[in-house]
Amino acid sequence: MKPVFQAIDPSEGLSWRASGPPEVSSFDVCPAPPTVHSASAEELLYLPVDTACPLELASPRPVVVKVPLGGTCRPRVRSFSFLNLDGTGIASGTHGPTSCATVSASVELGGNSGTGIASGTLVTTSTRIRPPEDVIKLEDRLNYVLQPSLEVLLTERALRFPHQPFAFQYQGVAFLYPRQAAILADEMGLGKTMQSITAIRLLVHRAEVRRALLVCPKPLVTNWQREFALWAPELPVTAIEGNQAKRAWQWELPDVPVKIANYELLHRDRALLDRDHPALDFDLVVLDESQRIKNRHSATSQAVRSLRSRRRWALTGTPVENSTEDLVGIFEFLAPGFLSPDMRPRRMGRTVADHVLRRTKEQVLVDLPPKLFRDAELSLSPEQADAYQLAEGEGVVRLNQLGQELSIQHVFELVLRLKQICNFDPATQASAKLERLEADLEEVADSGRKAIVFSQWVQTLEQLRDRLGRFRPLEYHGRVPTARRDAVLAQFRDDPSCHVLLISYGAGSVGLNLQFASYVFLFDRWWNPAVEDQAINRVHRIGSSGPVTVTRFLMLDTIEERIARILEEKRELFDTIFSDTASQRKLSLTQDEIFSLFDLKSPPESAKAA
Amino acid sequence: MASHEQQKAATASTLGFVTVVEDAEDGLFGGYLVLNLAGRPVEFHCTAPIRPNRAQEILYGPTLQPYLFGEQIGRTLIEKATARPLVVCTDHASMLAVRDVIDLPVALVLGDQNKTESDLSGTINSSGRQWRIDAAHGPEAQQPHFELGRNRLAVSPSAATDRQTILDRLGPVAGSFDLAEPFGRIREAIDEARRGGR
Repeated sequence: MKPVFQAIDPSEGLSWRASGPPEVSSFDVCPAPPTVHSASAEELLYLPVDTACPLELASPRPVVVKVPLGGTCRPRVRSFSFLNLDGTGIASGTHGPTSCATVSASVELGGNSGTGIASGTLVTTSTRIRPPEDVIKLEDRLNYVLQPSLEVLLTERALRFPHQPFAFQYQGVAFLYPRQAAILADEMGLGKTMQSITAIRLLVHRAEVRRALLVCPKPLVTNWQREFALWAPELPVTAIEGNQAKRAWQWELPDVPVKIANYELLHRDRALLDRDHPALDFDLVVLDESQRIKNRHSATSQAVRSLRSRRRWALTGTPVENSTEDLVGIFEFLAPGFLSPDMRPRRMGRTVADHVLRRTKEQVLVDLPPKLFRDAELSLSPEQADAYQLAEGEGVVRLNQLGQELSIQHVFELVLRLKQICNFDPATQASAKLERLEADLEEVADSGRKAIVFSQWVQTLEQLRDRLGRFRPLEYHGRVPTARRDAVLAQFRDDPSCHVLLISYGAGSVGLNLQFASYVFLFDRWWNPAVEDQAINRVHRIGSSGPVTVTRFLMLDTIEERIARILEEKRELFDTIFSDTASQRKLSLTQDEIFSLFDLKSPPESAKAA
Repeated sequence: MASHEQQKAATASTLGFVTVVEDAEDGLFGGYLVLNLAGRPVEFHCTAPIRPNRAQEILYGPTLQPYLFGEQIGRTLIEKATARPLVVCTDHASMLAVRDVIDLPVALVLGDQNKTESDLSGTINSSGRQWRIDAAHGPEAQQPHFELGRNRLAVSPSAATDRQTILDRLGPVAGSFDLAEPFGRIREAIDEARRGGR
């Protein structure tokens, strides 16, 4: 319960007094104590920054160095190092968990003893939680602005982190924390997971949330469990799974502050969730990859919207994939009726401004390695060119012959057929893209680096697997059993002889952390740029050790080139809504545009977005 | 004054922070925030805006600002509060004048954000009028400062013994308390109050 401030005698000024202590949450599960290596108490060394200190150990081993600091701000040490004065045994150091008064750094000594200087740049952040625009009452707004910084609130609850968050991540937590309806729309790789977990954690510890439900795509459930264990180890978390009886029991568990469910299961358990049970009245529902509900008429959207909850948050790197309807769909969950489909993009952007936080890597991660794009514009091989011309010629004739029966499905079928020929000639398996990919992968393998290759077709990935055997490719797509997928990723990360991961957009564009790879190849292009961005950001994210090179294959004078033009226009739609400076351009890939790929006229009765 | 303070329940584990926000159109807003030692708000009070009349400008002359800050704003706010803090902190040198009218130690928190007399010397605009502030009369002008944890403090020359009192009372918490930080909260709260919520 938050402190209550009461307005007193406003005619002579304003007064507020806090009343009532905040409630304290307690959990059945005791948090595990933090691991601080194997050092004994005597080996915890307290070193003042920039002061020479003797350091002697019986044998080389990791020790924990604490740098005493003052102040209420959470400090962070950057570039921490311990240098022996005699020039030997330079210790390596990384910043570690911090508390209000100390900064810890793990230091591995090169020798048994030495006298050194612990040095580092101390960076403090102080992040204020500001009231959202829709908090109207003055006393409620004051209740936010008078509180100490987020860092102090976390510190006083002894809520520590395995890694020191970035300042923008604290800002993300401060954005989510007070909001009843919010979209955290950071670009992929900026830590939406950590930010939302931390906000949930603080709300639970301050007893403002007792029951939170996190909904995510099924393949990401285990990932969320891992992330909760990492960022909020003291919070009991239950993943809803198993047969219906088990799920019914899990849904009604009263003392679990965080439950995780996948979208499909939510739809299946709708009857269970509709029951009148206190455990099903959530204080917070968080949707991960919330673009799943962009179609507000879908069963998934309806199931999600039927959940009972006071607070509703959505996490997505792509709140607008195709059209403004996508954002309307998400807001139908967050705040029904807040947006209407006929709003113009610019007005919609202004309307949602206080509810959406969107940061890009370029804005906040000045230290992140660059992302380099290369468009590999290739010509079809002679075999592919023959097959393509035949398929397109025959296909267009057939479409024209359909007359009034022509539908968008017919056009899609032709588009897909032509895109597949752009990948491989169906008769000879000739592929200009593959030739170029092989040449590039030689370089990748020779340099000991790793590459991800994306395609929209499993069949294409399997063809690539057969032809790229010398690079020991691994596969991650819909035909790989879910239970094996983590092992595939682990092998790709740890096995130096595995240089290539063949991955489908469907299975691998969200939720995976592949920052140990340096190259991304988009063997074919997806229908919308947001999904491509998600795929690329599996690699280009926090933790990337060097530049990420993205190669986009494009066959000249083909359907791929025409689609690429439209994709670029869709990218500009996103900028129109989420940036005041972008110019307003084409809104979406409409049916007309799809028909225009073949100079066909769209049937008059429909002009819906694809 | 002292008797009034003594009537209040002792709230030994709190600190008071008082400051003034100047607005060219409306005048001076005072804000007073009482925090517990964990930095959490206990009380907040702010004044309606005040501006001196012509008679006050003439009568008080160079002592106008200490009068406005100390007696008019600071005293009113601190007397309004229920909690009796260990120490009252301010970031305005002229607010040290409040020490003459309350029975609590008052510390001037020096730092980057601190408003010294020279910052305010010159003019204060209010509805087109100007009145003069004479920096030479600032009570802190020659006041030596002292360190407490990471904070740099000064006290009123008329209450030099406050220094030891502050060291004794704030010593245990000085290492973990940034005494300059709460003034930002007060300024934000005053801004909210001026807008009257939304």
